[in-house]
Amino acid sequence: MPIGNTQPSVRPAQAGRAGGAVVTPSAHRKGARPRRARGGLRAERYAPYILVAPAVLIIVLLRLYPLLLGVNFSFTGDGEQNGTAVGFGNYRELFADPLFQTALGNVGLLVLLLPVAVAIPGLLATFIYLRVPGHRFYRSVYFFPAVLSPVIVGAIFNMLLAFDGPLNAVLSSVGVGPVDWLGDPDLAMFMVVGVHIWATFGMALVVFLAGFATLDAALLDAARVDGASLRQVVWHVIIPSLSRTIQFVFVTTMIGMLTSMFGLLYVMTTGGPEGSTYLPEYYIWIKQGQMNRPALASAASTILFMIMLVVGLLQIKLLERAGKED
Amino acid sequence: MRQRAMWSAVLVVGLALAGCGSASDSGKSTSSDGKLVVWDWKSGEPFAKSYLDKAKADFKKKHSDVEVEFVAQPFDQYYTLLGAAIQSGKGPDVMLFNGGGQIRDRVDALVPLNDYVTEDKQRLAGWEAFTKDAKIYASPVTLQGYPIYYNKAIYQKANLDPASPATTWDKFTADCTAIAKAGAKCFALGNKEGVGIQFWLSSLGSTTLTAQEYDAWITGKRDWQSPNVKRLFQLWKEAGDKKMNSDGANSTAMFNDSFALFQSGKAAHVMGLMSDVGHWQDFNEFLTPEKLGVMKAPIVTAGTTPSLPYDGGIGYAVAKWTKDPKMAADLVRSLSSADALKAFYADAGAIAADTTIDVSQAGPAVATLVSELKSGKPALHVALSSKTLDLMGRLSQQLLSGSITVDEVVKQLAASDQAG
Repeated sequence: MPIGNTQPSVRPAQAGRAGGAVVTPSAHRKGARPRRARGGLRAERYAPYILVAPAVLIIVLLRLYPLLLGVNFSFTGDGEQNGTAVGFGNYRELFADPLFQTALGNVGLLVLLLPVAVAIPGLLATFIYLRVPGHRFYRSVYFFPAVLSPVIVGAIFNMLLAFDGPLNAVLSSVGVGPVDWLGDPDLAMFMVVGVHIWATFGMALVVFLAGFATLDAALLDAARVDGASLRQVVWHVIIPSLSRTIQFVFVTTMIGMLTSMFGLLYVMTTGGPEGSTYLPEYYIWIKQGQMNRPALASAASTILFMIMLVVGLLQIKLLERAGKED
Repeated sequence: MRQRAMWSAVLVVGLALAGCGSASDSGKSTSSDGKLVVWDWKSGEPFAKSYLDKAKADFKKKHSDVEVEFVAQPFDQYYTLLGAAIQSGKGPDVMLFNGGGQIRDRVDALVPLNDYVTEDKQRLAGWEAFTKDAKIYASPVTLQGYPIYYNKAIYQKANLDPASPATTWDKFTADCTAIAKAGAKCFALGNKEGVGIQFWLSSLGSTTLTAQEYDAWITGKRDWQSPNVKRLFQLWKEAGDKKMNSDGANSTAMFNDSFALFQSGKAAHVMGLMSDVGHWQDFNEFLTPEKLGVMKAPIVTAGTTPSLPYDGGIGYAVAKWTKDPKMAADLVRSLSSADALKAFYADAGAIAADTTIDVSQAGPAVATLVSELKSGKPALHVALSSKTLDLMGRLSQQLLSGSITVDEVVKQLAASDQAG
């Protein structure tokens, strides 16, 4: 960091307001510390706020204000009670609703399945990096599903996983009875998550490959010379070197799972069977659109927001810690 | 840093104060003079063109200076969008509704039409689905019913007489055994959305509940513990246990996978619709009118008489915030005028609400349906709230998978029904 050559961060504003009489640009360039007039000082202090004001205003007006309205709205009633305060009534109803409990339980399930969702692209990227036969082909094939819309992916898997679909036909040809992949409440959620991982792991794979590009090849060679097995190479060399990449993929995959499963759910299971594949997003949509319960939906949205806030803060902590390690 | 924290605190407090009490307002109008905005999910489709042209022409006769704008919304988001419009108290002047729960849940935002539609009362059928507490909120356009269709070709293959389908439940299950031997399923069932049970309830309602029970159900005095009501759910479970339904019913979409199973001859019966989709005209693509039969519900409880369950299918309603309710009601009347409905029947393949329309050209199934309209009654499931229907859908899936008992089902449904 060069010292003695500090330039004010807001030169144009200062130059403009101070009239250029006291401080000239050339004085800056020479590195001379300017004598600041009081007006200039104030301008300098407020300038950052003025400059970020448009962005802040947009966020406040279009994001924070509606958010607060939504929270406020969640404390009012629906239907005949429209507009009257009901306290925590909506929240009590939510937590008593088994369907909402299922939805929250499924969020927990997603968190539990997160390591799998990260491990799959990680492993495949490792194989590509280690140049298994046909790695170029796999690199493009793996990314392909990432460009498909969830609706198309859902429709494809609806057909594949149908009771009289091709997957069951293959199974029956080897003597295994048909499985109702999307009609069994114990299976359906795993199928949807599985399809979601299949459809989105391409992005994570690219991130991993970018991480591998920064990997020191000498370390790998050294490990090989020392006679390390593939497992030992992965465990002792690749994973420690890629820790930041892995953490980043964890964060992005988590966000993806919590916020973009709606399309798949809508097409593949519509929340069923027996309500087993509800997620908070889907619950909110049903309550608002189909059940005409906007205030209840607002309460559910507020809870989802809280969950995302906690998850987000945890992730920021995680990333900060990773940053410090470097 | 501290300053920034202070600023954000000020911001949050200020906003919180500003946010109080302004979440919902109502009663504002968006329509400018001389223009009516209509929301629906039909007007974008080619088959609705002649219907709308006729309706617009009829309206022009009464209000030549008023412009009408139709805004077609996607059906799967229709009620979400409408909910947002109702919440803000701004939106279309006239809007399309499904009969039953969808309109009854939203009557707060609608104008009662009783005084405007008196002349149409006789000509049109299906008013009950758009009525709440003796107030009419929409004029019916189509009739939606839940007949049982059957495939005559499969009956022949199974050595059954296609001209006289079973009239009792016992005979019906015996027929189904014969059909199974002939390599087809008895019912094409799609219950992925939980809608299959609704059709089941309504199709078999008239022959399972006594006439008193049926009427009491429609007027809101529902006895969920009655043996006959339980019987409806027991039959549903039995049909599943006896493998009478097509495979994987809980993962098969009713629209339109189950109807496709029926059309392609994999199942002998389907509880279908009269209008829009899954009906006589839809099936005609693969099942010619001669092969398609409509049967009365087989009698489950002795002493009952089968009747066709039907209600007003879709209808147009007037929003509370419109400037001139009389004018909007005139538009609603034009949308249900005889000429317009005739065009709707011919192009969209719907049983229109106007029962005076001649349908003799459309084949025997339609003729049977229309002849049964006179003795028909409102469908059982249409009388239930959308919340109870949603619950019933999930419970019906549990019944099929065997994870719940009939007693528990009626208990939960009774609780939901009484709650609202």
